[in-house]
Amino acid sequence: MSFTYRLMLRDLRSGDLLTLLLALIISVSTVTSIGLFIDRLQLSFEQESANLLAADRLIRSDDAIPNIWQTKADDLGLKHAQRTSFTTMMFAGDSLQLSQLSAVSEGYPLKGAYLIDDTLFGTGSASTGMPVQGEIWVSSRLASLLNVTIGDQIEVGDVTLTVMKYLVRDPGSSTSAFAISPRAVMNMVDLAATNVIIPGSRVRYSLLLAGEKSILDQYEAWVMPQLNEGQRWQTPTQRGERIGDTIGRAESFLLLAGTLAVVMSGVAMALASARFVKRHLMQVAILKTLGATPQLLGKMFLQQLLTLFVAGAVIGLVIGWGIQEIIASLLSGLMSTTLPEPSVSRLWLGATTGLISMLVFCLPLISHLTKISPLSVLQPNAKVELNTFVIYLIGFIGLYGLMCVYTNGFLLPSIMTAAIFGIALLVAGMGWLAFKLGRSLTSGATSGWQIGLASLYRRLVPNLFQLLVFTLIIMLTLILIGVKSSLIADWQQQLPENAPNHYLFNVQANQIEQINNETHKLNVQTSDWFPMVRGRVTAANGVTVQSLYPDDKGEPELYERELNLTWSDTLGKGNELVSGDFSAQGLSIEQRVAKEAKLTLGDQLTLNIGGNIMTLPITSVRTVDWGSMQPNFYLILPKSALENYPANFVSSLFIDDASAQPFYKAMSQFPTVSILNVGDILKQIQSIIGQLSQAIQLVLFCILSAGALVLLASVRSTLEERLEEGALLRVLGAKSSLVRQALFVEFGALGFFSGLIAAIGAEMCLYGLQVFVFNADASFHPLLWLFGPLIGVCVISTIGIFASRTVLKVPPMLLLRGL
Amino acid sequence: MSRNTAIKVTNLTHTVTSNTGDLTILKGINMEIKESESVAIVGASGSGKSTLLGLLAGLDVNTSGEIVLYGNPFSSQTEEQRALARGQYVGFVFQSFHLLPSLQAIENVMLPAELKGDKKARQKAEALLEKVGLSHRLTHYPNQLSGGEQQRVAIARAFASDPKVLFADEPTGNLDEDNGNLIIKLLFELNQSQGTTLVMVTHDNDLAKMCDRQLIMSSGQLTEKSL
Repeated sequence: MSFTYRLMLRDLRSGDLLTLLLALIISVSTVTSIGLFIDRLQLSFEQESANLLAADRLIRSDDAIPNIWQTKADDLGLKHAQRTSFTTMMFAGDSLQLSQLSAVSEGYPLKGAYLIDDTLFGTGSASTGMPVQGEIWVSSRLASLLNVTIGDQIEVGDVTLTVMKYLVRDPGSSTSAFAISPRAVMNMVDLAATNVIIPGSRVRYSLLLAGEKSILDQYEAWVMPQLNEGQRWQTPTQRGERIGDTIGRAESFLLLAGTLAVVMSGVAMALASARFVKRHLMQVAILKTLGATPQLLGKMFLQQLLTLFVAGAVIGLVIGWGIQEIIASLLSGLMSTTLPEPSVSRLWLGATTGLISMLVFCLPLISHLTKISPLSVLQPNAKVELNTFVIYLIGFIGLYGLMCVYTNGFLLPSIMTAAIFGIALLVAGMGWLAFKLGRSLTSGATSGWQIGLASLYRRLVPNLFQLLVFTLIIMLTLILIGVKSSLIADWQQQLPENAPNHYLFNVQANQIEQINNETHKLNVQTSDWFPMVRGRVTAANGVTVQSLYPDDKGEPELYERELNLTWSDTLGKGNELVSGDFSAQGLSIEQRVAKEAKLTLGDQLTLNIGGNIMTLPITSVRTVDWGSMQPNFYLILPKSALENYPANFVSSLFIDDASAQPFYKAMSQFPTVSILNVGDILKQIQSIIGQLSQAIQLVLFCILSAGALVLLASVRSTLEERLEEGALLRVLGAKSSLVRQALFVEFGALGFFSGLIAAIGAEMCLYGLQVFVFNADASFHPLLWLFGPLIGVCVISTIGIFASRTVLKVPPMLLLRGL
Repeated sequence: MSRNTAIKVTNLTHTVTSNTGDLTILKGINMEIKESESVAIVGASGSGKSTLLGLLAGLDVNTSGEIVLYGNPFSSQTEEQRALARGQYVGFVFQSFHLLPSLQAIENVMLPAELKGDKKARQKAEALLEKVGLSHRLTHYPNQLSGGEQQRVAIARAFASDPKVLFADEPTGNLDEDNGNLIIKLLFELNQSQGTTLVMVTHDNDLAKMCDRQLIMSSGQLTEKSL
């Protein structure tokens, strides 16, 4: 074995290199486990959301899907299926009912599953199958309206189909909000023979695609230029999709959490390296006096670091993999779905983090070891001047680069870096002031308070550094708590208890009272009734939409389709006035669509309602809480403008499981009324949110564990000094209780200041994250100001006293000899 | 019999920069030390003895003048070259022992030979530790040894590379009388048996008297004490 490795083994045995190796293992395993776990969660969320889409990607079209699109999908090896949905009249004996029918091709659904049942209004069980030729699956509501049961026959156009199952949930149905219920599904091969689709029929064609993301991206690039006005490319994370928003936020959060793990690992590595260098200064000087050349030493340390990296990375990766497996198995009972296997390719993240951390945090420091003057053995003051600026600059660039790689962007790392810099300045300034104040308030060494506070100022630079480390860790904790609670609160706010889970629409004015009576009998409360008239925006400020968007590209949502318009004298639930006057005789517009279409108060919109043209000014702008599940509208008109148009009404209501069957029965006397059950979709979203909040708590726990280790490492980095001081005090006759009190005061004060400054930093950071990253409203977090100092005092004094317990236990003589 | 020159110093001046300005520690020193000679450098604290020792051993570079150790012009050599020369010609014994705390006694003694790539480092180290009377302490760590024992390990280490010159900086400064005497005896025995040149900085007049020559350092200048 070469000299390098023999020396390395001896260093490992003595614990010096071991500290560095442990820091590396912690770093690699933390990043690996979080990275892999996040990867699994992301895959899981994508799968869940793909279930809602019934595919990975979907093209929605008003015209039949060109064959070439399917040929291209075949060429690329993508799985594909088609769905054709339309409204049609169905007949069964003497009953007839307008229904939403979907015809699906072989392989549908590509993702997710149908929920079907053999019992009317049953809760259903998952089935990846689909109706075969000659069969039809109908919703319980349609079955009761048509008065059919399993085995009965239904006529659809010229074809007679047999009812085989009751349809509970149709994967992909959620994407078409306000889809007409009652629903049914049949096999595509029967469609042509029905002869129900004729020119002019309102039909929605969908091409569903599934496969590798890279191939889907390739397909998207190919198909996008061919899409016309009536065709849309849809992804699970598409804007406007509630589930997409949820995933987007979850990704942001998990990335943030992962970034914090990277930062924390970097700090741990830097601390371990600094300790390694400190403890090797004299060793290098001695080796130099014995004839070791700088080149030999450089080669030796490089070899040692590389070996350490390989060992640390391998062990760290194995542990990281193991940890995420444990996490996943712990959660398997809680999660609604089985987590997909993590991608092995994600392992590079942990290994790269370890390598870059070593390169930027260890190498510059350790390379300085080779420059130590051998004269240090005779004159301990003959130290080499460390170019700390360059070292910190390299460390910073490395850390920033790592964060950018990790988050695949610059925004999050930039915000975090700015906050860390701000905090560093703040910490240095405030810490200096606080320590100085503590020193001037106490003179002498008669109490633990005096000794503790005095030592804060005496070791000013290391204590300021320690203060910064503690502050950052507490700040990260507070940010995580803040982000987690505000995100979860936000989600919960989006989905309140008893949020409406059914929509009633196509209701005529004369039916409202009867329906209210029925729901009243069932003790079910409907929301307000909103009249609904269809209309299209044709011009803004006198300029036609065609002139504004001649190539149909980038058309705002307000202009691209026919809208549901309503009138109201009062601002509905979930609506909030931003500007203007709601009672004025003009249009009230939703803020986001107004912004997208670049419209402000006073602009004139021209509407085409049933062939009649009217122009109205925008007199108010509203925000709308789309999560309230109340009927909501982009445009609200004054009553005078719409009251003469024939309207039907819409409302929403919450129906619990017990009331479902009687409610459907009661509603069967209103065959023209459509009922949309969004409860299932809500349940799915709630399950995802539940899953997310569990995951977040777990990720938080992982990061805090890493944080605790960093804390321990940083306390250990000044341990020798504290040990020496404690031993001297005891030699001079101080009681253990005095030394303990002094330690408690020193760590407690460090913790208090760290916590306080951390609260300030976390508040600033949360503001930045809320406003710029999560696109949410900024809010103040008073609890952080309480928890910050409290966590600081409790955790840091506990860890500090624990790490320094030898100061109190070991006889002073042994300590002094060992130093 | 005329002996070869081990170290030759010509017009050696050394200045350091401090907060209060430049401070000249050594002022125009000239001297020559022959092979196998034992030389004591004595003088008051702060007179520049240790600085001179460090420069003679090539641990630092002088401001002006020349130091040549066995043909190595330290003043004009790089740190790399000086380190190689130290490995080849120089051994050290320090006042505060400077053993590597993470290494056992035997491992500390093996270091110089290992640095040279000597395959018989262990056997050599065992033999040297036996010579200094520590064959029963081979696997002890420095903090498990007494001061005297630590210095004996340091002496064994100093001789492990078969040095031509042994530099000793206050070798008995941290030891009681008995241990001090034992160390002195060992140093001189090895010096004589191996023909090593011995250059020693000391406050101890009795120890200085045992050397062939005594050089007195005062105000940065060196004078020979007539015996």
